[in-house]
Amino acid sequence: MSGSTVFWYASRATGIVALLLLTAVLVLGILVNRQGRLPGLPRFAVTSLHRNMSLLAVAFIAVHVLTAVADTYVSIPVLSSVIPFASGYERFWLGLGAISFDLMLAMIITSLVRGRLNRILWRAIHLLAYLSWPVAFAHSIGSSKDLQQGWLLDLSIACAVIVAAAALWRLASAARQLPRAARVPAILARHTGHQAAERITR
Amino acid sequence: MTMTPIDDTTSEAAGNHTAGLPRLLPLVPGVPEDLRTHLGRYGRPPMGNPNLIRVVEQSGLTGRGGAAFPVHRKLAIVAAARGRKVIVANGAESEPASRKDNLLLRAAPNLVLDGLQLAAAAIGASEAHLYLHSISPEITRALAQRAAAGLDRLAVTVTEAPPRFLAGQESALVSRLGGGPAVPGFVPPRVTERGLGGAPTLVQNVETLAHLALIARYGPRWFRAVGTADEPGSMLATVHTNSNISVVEAEIGVPLRTLSLQNNAQAILIGGYHGAWLPLDAIGTLTLDNAELSKHGAAVGAGVIAALPADRCGLAEAARVVRYLAAESAGQCGPCLNGLPRMAAALAELAGRGHRRQTRADLERWAGLVTGRGACNHPDGTVRFVRSTLTVFAPEIALHAGGHCSATNRTPFLPLPDRMPLTEDDWI
Repeated sequence: MSGSTVFWYASRATGIVALLLLTAVLVLGILVNRQGRLPGLPRFAVTSLHRNMSLLAVAFIAVHVLTAVADTYVSIPVLSSVIPFASGYERFWLGLGAISFDLMLAMIITSLVRGRLNRILWRAIHLLAYLSWPVAFAHSIGSSKDLQQGWLLDLSIACAVIVAAAALWRLASAARQLPRAARVPAILARHTGHQAAERITR
Repeated sequence: MTMTPIDDTTSEAAGNHTAGLPRLLPLVPGVPEDLRTHLGRYGRPPMGNPNLIRVVEQSGLTGRGGAAFPVHRKLAIVAAARGRKVIVANGAESEPASRKDNLLLRAAPNLVLDGLQLAAAAIGASEAHLYLHSISPEITRALAQRAAAGLDRLAVTVTEAPPRFLAGQESALVSRLGGGPAVPGFVPPRVTERGLGGAPTLVQNVETLAHLALIARYGPRWFRAVGTADEPGSMLATVHTNSNISVVEAEIGVPLRTLSLQNNAQAILIGGYHGAWLPLDAIGTLTLDNAELSKHGAAVGAGVIAALPADRCGLAEAARVVRYLAAESAGQCGPCLNGLPRMAAALAELAGRGHRRQTRADLERWAGLVTGRGACNHPDGTVRFVRSTLTVFAPEIALHAGGHCSATNRTPFLPLPDRMPLTEDDWI
């Protein structure tokens, strides 16, 4: 590996790791939303894992972007990492990367100041994850010849299948969910064995 | 013991106001006061005192809704905020065993409305609400008479609360007044920072406002003439005995045994269904103030005092209450939603005969698991009740384990509503 290609390799490698991390972050986020658990972990740990892994993913994306910009073989302007379609090289596919990155920044920044935000606003912005991940995935496949063949292609397909399965599970689980007010009588009936509508006094 | 220095600028009370009780309730029990008799007894509310918050601070008045938070601090927080501000008189006494706010709103509505206007002026509120379980003719009449007399600066919007245990909780109240269900919200922000429609909101219990209306008239020194140095004033208490339920106005710090509790009691529930049981031997020496009660893990709360007759089963009573509390969970926080029904089932098992050995340990464990993990204090309050049940009725638990029960009377003693919430409409 010569000095001129080290940035290129670093960018491709961190890009692939970032895709894996983002897949994990999305699946963990769905788990947090559905109050699911991971074996051996309490629920709050699932939440922390989701948060910490998203910050780790951003760190990898930062290196991925900076090394791509620093590499001199093709010219990618630094601003094209946040301004979509501003790069002459691979204008469309790098543009998708910039869009996805912008959406992630919006989610991270609103999460860091979540205490000061309206919950509905925070949630609306966080739902952009379902747009950000597919755009990032398209960016990965489209701009990288590596991912279009061999075992990296298999890995990419696996990521897509996992995300699709998690999203479907989320929808199915939400559809099964009882309305808030009906949860209490249902659980009370399960534990105390009484009919939900039974009178309490006697 | 610290004493708050008093530089009393308000006029001292004269004549029959000096120290006598009742202060809030009618002098002739059972006769509600209309505006004329109200003004005849207390005079007009002294509007326009710029130092009212300071006077309240000197009086040492604490919230009478249960949390006993210093009133002047909440007043000062909202007074310091800018822009539109809201005040709410909270009469949604949701504790089924408490009757004092309902009684006060019927017997002395004008005193509450005086306090609402005085506190509104002190914090610069531009919107005033009265939140209660059912609008009584007395309230309607008081509002009409005050409007006709041009007594009030702010119009008062009256809203009815759903019959839910948590309906009077501060953030649930704000949610309900905003058109939503009366379920607690997540804190922060506190309603004093961002409440109704985003405006800083002061929520005070109706009894607290009634005391404030008298402090504004007669001053802190008058207020401190009864009660203890740290917990001055009088309080309304709902006293349950075998024969009846009564609301009394008592000096804070009076010995519990003076509160016409019957001799045949086996234990006393103090502070309501988020409160604690006290064993009989404590009753002889205890006084009605938080300094004393906290030594036994209890608190005055909203002033519910129930003397459990000797012929009832404390476990059966506690099981009914905890089942009710579990049913009244808003269903938002996992530990409360899942933990309280388990505890209710375990207590029901203890109240039966021949329970499993494991059950009591399970209860202790679940009590630890739900504590401090709700958006509101419903799980914590329920745990306080459950733990004191396990302690005070330990001999009864042992008896039940052997297939016996000491009770001879199966009639339920502690009052509970007979309908539990099933749909979202039940919370509106």
